[in-house]
Amino acid sequence: MEFLDYFANVFTLYHIALLVGGTFVGIILGALPGLSPTMSVALLIPFTFHMEPESGLILLGAMYTATVAGGAISAILVNVPGAPANIATAMDGHKMAKQGKSKEALHYCFISSFVGGIFGVVILIFFTPPLAELSLKFGTTELFWIAILGITIIATIDSKSVIKGLLSGLFGLMLATIGDNPVLGVERFVFTEHLTGGVNIVVGLIGLFAMPQVLNLMENYYSQKNAALSAVGSSTLMSSFRYVFGRAKALSIGSMIGSIIGIIPGAGGQIAGLVSYDQTKKFSKNSDNYGKGEPEGIVAAESANNSMVGPSLIPLLTLSIPGSPTAAVLLGGLLIHGIFPGHEIFETNKEVIWTFIDSLILAQFLMLFIGLFLSRHSGWIMKVPDNYMAVGIFVLAVFGTYSIGNSYSDVLIMVSLGTIMFFASKAGFSAVPVVLGIILGPIAENNFLLGKLIGGARFDGNWILYFTTGTINITLISICIISITYGVYSNRKSKNK
Amino acid sequence: MVFTQIVNLKINNMRQYLKISTLLVIVVALTLLSISFEEVINPKPWVDNEDYLFPRFISGGIAILGFLLFFEKDVLGKTTNYKDLLPGLGLLLVYILTMKYIGFYLASMILFFAVVMIYKKPEESTDFWRVCIFKLGIAALFTLALYGLFTEMLHVQPPKGMFF
Repeated sequence: MEFLDYFANVFTLYHIALLVGGTFVGIILGALPGLSPTMSVALLIPFTFHMEPESGLILLGAMYTATVAGGAISAILVNVPGAPANIATAMDGHKMAKQGKSKEALHYCFISSFVGGIFGVVILIFFTPPLAELSLKFGTTELFWIAILGITIIATIDSKSVIKGLLSGLFGLMLATIGDNPVLGVERFVFTEHLTGGVNIVVGLIGLFAMPQVLNLMENYYSQKNAALSAVGSSTLMSSFRYVFGRAKALSIGSMIGSIIGIIPGAGGQIAGLVSYDQTKKFSKNSDNYGKGEPEGIVAAESANNSMVGPSLIPLLTLSIPGSPTAAVLLGGLLIHGIFPGHEIFETNKEVIWTFIDSLILAQFLMLFIGLFLSRHSGWIMKVPDNYMAVGIFVLAVFGTYSIGNSYSDVLIMVSLGTIMFFASKAGFSAVPVVLGIILGPIAENNFLLGKLIGGARFDGNWILYFTTGTINITLISICIISITYGVYSNRKSKNK
Repeated sequence: MVFTQIVNLKINNMRQYLKISTLLVIVVALTLLSISFEEVINPKPWVDNEDYLFPRFISGGIAILGFLLFFEKDVLGKTTNYKDLLPGLGLLLVYILTMKYIGFYLASMILFFAVVMIYKKPEESTDFWRVCIFKLGIAALFTLALYGLFTEMLHVQPPKGMFF
């Protein structure tokens, strides 16, 4: 029960203000169609740079929780999911809104998000320390393979083509090699003075997530029709609570599936919501009503996508492998505050991490209260024009990038990377493996070079043996191979359909 | 004339476009691979090949995957609407280039105003001056909010130019 020792740290005026602000802004950003939780968290990271690590992480955690839940507002009101995690919510949520029950649907959404969210944080609290202990057994070669595994899993899950996913991951790794060699200190691939400092993690995050979004909003400005806003309708809070808690089966299926998917590296809220929706439908007496405005569908999808949030941090905090794309961005947030995932996290940064985890519990309560409050006034959020959003995001992205190191070069790198990513995404490439490559690149290279030195001494120069022997190494290599093989298989299967 | 040609650019053969891009990726990867081997290109006696070992594996991997992608079937992507994209992209680039001369706040206000004036939907009011003054007001408010948040509250310095 170590987590209870740090609860008091969350209840300072400053931290509560950060939580309230992060949740409020997070719900609004989540509700804006097209602004993903990943981009919102990435955009916020530079502003946490000057904060104490625990304050910065509290703000990022609140934002992560709130954006996932907030995405349901636009899914219900205009049938445009605010985030991929809310796709399943739109199926019944918008049908309810069309029947004049959008307020009721929004109530169900925030109450079930709250239940799922609390369940997920409990899983995070009890599963993280034992897994962190496991990481004690990891040496240089294991850490190298962990970094490669993280990129491989994200690359194969997040992309429609395994080749493109892996190429994106390798591109990220290549970007990470620009600048100084981490072990030997020699400058590499510095073709212009702007690249002297290499590609900063946060610069990469903002460029790869925010810039393509800005260009997308501009490109589709005229083709994007204003979605018809459904009437909010009326519903009492008590009846909504009674309904949600009366759907114990949907809540438990959603929360459990969401948590399991959260722990699986790279899977994310979209898969959690859809799988849970599908499974709840199979076990429901009202399965025929699914897709026609069945509230149980919302309960299942929303409890799942929010219960995914906590568990997605388990592999992140213990093994540096993010459980979701947004968790990958949070990894960048941890690293810029000098916090390195692994067993040491509960020794050297015990207070910071437990305060952060504890704050996620309060973030769920705030998400419930603020979400229910905004349910009554959510219509105006949908009315923010895309051109205002595009320019607002871009100016914040430029300022956020510049503020990291007062460097104009960083701004140029951010804009260049983002523009390349925009065109690459047209060809089916994904930003998430690139980001993970930039983040995990130095970890992979550092451990590769150290492992090579140790292995060379231990195996008479045959260092490859050092990387390919040992139970953990073999297991990690096998998972990499399985992940790629499964990716190729599912690509082929979906092409044949 | 050139601009009209660019905005009317429609890539009908997406497959061809992707193949050309893939070839470009392979060429870049092979160039980086050769840099990692060739000390002649970067003749520094203190640079050991060991320093480039990791990037060598990665660029090799990129080249191999590039070849595989070249022969992959059904790799069609989405087309780009250059007509609506290019004016905005141009404005963003001008903003980036002028920001360090005229300052972050003034450049941001001009960018905001220019973007919301260029990207406007037909259903907006046709009274040009009314729309102009309204949007200028919003741009000024936006800049003021940025100033209040960054300079006054967070005490973070934006890029400075000749104005502020």
